[in-house]
Amino acid sequence: MPLANTPTSVPVVVDEDKCIADKGCTVCVDVCPLDVLRISDLTGKAYMKYDECWYCMPCEADCPTNAVTVNIPYLLR
Amino acid sequence: MVFEPFEEESDFELLEENLGDPDPAVRRVAVMDLADTADPMAVPLIARAVSDESPEVRLQAAIALGEFDGLETATALCQAMQDGDNRVARAASDSLSELKDPEAAPPLLTLTSHEDPKVREGALLGLKQLRRPDALANGIEAMKDPVAAVRIQAVGVVGYLKAEEALPALISCCRDGDPDVRKTAVGALAFSKSSHARDALFAALEDENWAVREIAAEVLGRFPLGDNAQRLIGLLDDSYWQVRVKAVRSLGKLKVTAAIDRIGSQLDEVTSNLRKEAAAALGEIADPAALPYLEKLVDDPDPDVRKNVRWALGQIG
Amino acid sequence: MLERLEKGMDDLRAGLNEVDCDLLVIGGGTAGPMAAYRARKKNPNAKVILLEKANVKRSGAISMGMDGLNNAVIPGHSTPEQYTKEITIANDGICDQAAVYKYAQECYSIIEELDQFGIRFQKDDNGEYDVKKVHHIGTYVLPMPNGDTVKKALYRQLRRARVLISNRYMATRLLTGKSGRAAGAIAVNTRSGEFLVIKAKAVIMCTGAAGRLGLPTSGYMYGTYENPTNSGEGYAMAYHAGAKLANLECFQINPLIKDYNGPACAYVAGPFGGYTANSKNERFIECDYWSGQMMQEFFNELQSGKGPVYLKLNHLHKDTADHIEHILHTVERPSRGRFHEQRGTKYSEQMIEMHISEIGFCSGHSASGVYVDEFARTTVPGLYAAGDMASVPHNYMLGAFTNGAIAGEHAIDFAADVDFEEFDGAAVGIEQERVLAPTKREDGIPPNQIEYKVRRLVNDYLQPPKVTAKYELCQARLAEVREDMEERMMVRDAHELMRSMEVASILDCADMAAHASLYRKESRWGLYHWRTDYPDSSDEEWKCHVLLSKQDGKMACEKKAVQPYIIPIADDEKDAYYKQRITAQA
Repeated sequence: MPLANTPTSVPVVVDEDKCIADKGCTVCVDVCPLDVLRISDLTGKAYMKYDECWYCMPCEADCPTNAVTVNIPYLLR
Repeated sequence: MVFEPFEEESDFELLEENLGDPDPAVRRVAVMDLADTADPMAVPLIARAVSDESPEVRLQAAIALGEFDGLETATALCQAMQDGDNRVARAASDSLSELKDPEAAPPLLTLTSHEDPKVREGALLGLKQLRRPDALANGIEAMKDPVAAVRIQAVGVVGYLKAEEALPALISCCRDGDPDVRKTAVGALAFSKSSHARDALFAALEDENWAVREIAAEVLGRFPLGDNAQRLIGLLDDSYWQVRVKAVRSLGKLKVTAAIDRIGSQLDEVTSNLRKEAAAALGEIADPAALPYLEKLVDDPDPDVRKNVRWALGQIG
Repeated sequence: MLERLEKGMDDLRAGLNEVDCDLLVIGGGTAGPMAAYRARKKNPNAKVILLEKANVKRSGAISMGMDGLNNAVIPGHSTPEQYTKEITIANDGICDQAAVYKYAQECYSIIEELDQFGIRFQKDDNGEYDVKKVHHIGTYVLPMPNGDTVKKALYRQLRRARVLISNRYMATRLLTGKSGRAAGAIAVNTRSGEFLVIKAKAVIMCTGAAGRLGLPTSGYMYGTYENPTNSGEGYAMAYHAGAKLANLECFQINPLIKDYNGPACAYVAGPFGGYTANSKNERFIECDYWSGQMMQEFFNELQSGKGPVYLKLNHLHKDTADHIEHILHTVERPSRGRFHEQRGTKYSEQMIEMHISEIGFCSGHSASGVYVDEFARTTVPGLYAAGDMASVPHNYMLGAFTNGAIAGEHAIDFAADVDFEEFDGAAVGIEQERVLAPTKREDGIPPNQIEYKVRRLVNDYLQPPKVTAKYELCQARLAEVREDMEERMMVRDAHELMRSMEVASILDCADMAAHASLYRKESRWGLYHWRTDYPDSSDEEWKCHVLLSKQDGKMACEKKAVQPYIIPIADDEKDAYYKQRITAQA
């Protein structure tokens, strides 16, 4: 399939030591209006799967353990 | 089975079970789930989590209670506000400020003289929103609190109740040692039409803090000043232009003809906001004596100033 | 409740289910929750479904809240009559006043209701609403210090009112019956691609703006002014259902903080003495209203030697500037603080560079929307619309709440009197085939590339000034892209499938923007409809609405007279404002 992978630096980063997604928390994934976060099958932690971010912050604000940081996408900085 | 693509009904049994899980993270998630139910049945369960051994779970419970109201919620929050962990106490205080139901007041009333100033402050902040007349005595008493942050909330409680009998206490707070207390107290005098309140506002025009002078000038715009207008006019010499703007606005609102020349002199100001407000005030006073001042500004570089000048000229006719 | 995530999420699955209800509300942002809530309050026995493609908890334009109301008509500060007049003038007279007047009368009760929900509005030291005066014409600004809790408070009310919330379902087409009445909608799960048919006696659309129409100057596709999840589905669905859309040529273009692309909120800073200035530190906006004229002045200044344009706060006392900074950095778009911090910009020290946004459809700030009357009814019986996608002009957040409430109450009464409308069962199969086509291809173009191309063309050709030759070129290019979309677009999972459906809406909106703009052969609303081939306004020919709709499968436009004014506007009143501008230019 002739589709290439173009790398992007994602705005939303998750501190895996703080993230409690493996304990049943899905807050950040639930609240993203663009539905771009997922929980990794490998680590059980949240991560940004799709680089389609409005830097709007509910994922960071609602995270109970302060594990999520929203950065301004590089193209706007 | 019928397909039901909707958010599920709350399973309180499961949530209660999870609340007893040995893993604090699981308990924490259970507290979040309980908050999401928005069902008052969740309150006793969350209240239990306020005594959890893990500070994280207690913190989550203090946040979660902000979604509910009423006596049971307030009681649990009052307990959380006395938590040894600062984060829990602060979250509880935030949640208390969201209360609306007057029935929530009793536990708060017992805490306005608590030994911890943070607790006293939180209790008063919560009471302010509830506007319960029986909180007036607590408010007046707390105005003498040694901690300024507590006194500010006490003034808030009293100011929201708009009780004439609290005027002497409010007026004495206008001379408080802390500028933020003075500012709040001066603002809270707006409801009164008494001459005592007015005199306190005049005194506040000479306050050493600019923000206090600013709010006093603004509030005085609601009082008929009569012969005392000179004292507000005097504020046009203030070193802060933001204070002068409020004085100009109030003098305009009160149509103080005696202020025309002094307002006119503000039209030479570099700060265009002040020129703009001065022009509007001259329009409100609507006296031909202002014409020479206004005509000078017809070509001001600032369009908002020009607009107000044209409007003012129209008012004078 | 927390959604439980399954393994293999996003994997495409086949599925088709059906549910029915009295009232279907599409869109769980601002207007939608209020519509569903009020419908249940009015008729507690009614089955009300609220459909949302994300999660109602944080979806829509106000996901992170709002810093204040800028169109609050509060007794003692302004009147419904005064407000209606101002909105009429701001829209160059092309305004059906009934809906604006209705809003102005109802909005205060909505403020009080929101206050009861726990959304606190700024109060003074006596606990009265602390309405801020912006200029001598009207007083409409009411700050919301805990505006970040709006969505939470709404969600709580929805749960308590037992509205059936259906998250992760994106409506793709409305169903209409043989008589043309609304019959429900077809939706697709955004994480599995399974279909859901919702039969309903009445439908309210609250899907927000078309915010992903133009491309932001940063080039980042999701760095839009509007929440990019608002990609114009409501406009597209209404069009395909046969509803009429009003004044789409009156584009939305907003002032914003450059690159960050968030609102500069001059209305927040205004009462404190902040303002929009050019590089000489001077105000330049003559216009009294947020309108196309104001945006034209903004555009002209940017193009002139006196640009760039700034938000100026650095003449204020540091405490005041810091206070404004604090408000702007905590609510609505809180990442703004992070943006400025990275660049080392302090509001008390430097002016903040501003710019204008990409184009969009949004009645919240301009007037482009699905045509509705004062009861939020569209031209399709049983179909309602409210919020940014409905044609009530300049209605902002409070308008979404208020008109949502009006729609909910009217629609639930309508539903009580009717039975389910029969619809052609074949429509479901046809829609499934259309939606799933990109999933059947092994090879092709991904939706993000098609979207980029459409939006790049919108910027190149449709952004004002509007030039006929460029518009015609654009239509030809868009037709080519449409062919690519229909024949070659491919998706690999359910998330991409959602994006592919959004692309279809964006493309429909781009076509509608071009078509409606070419129809109105005059210039009006300042920058919003500046046609270089017809630089003047013609009241004789064009002081009317333009309605766009689907006729025999094609786009068609017609004129519709403005309804007689309820609140008359005397000529000298119009002139008073007009003359102010003329004199200023002389």
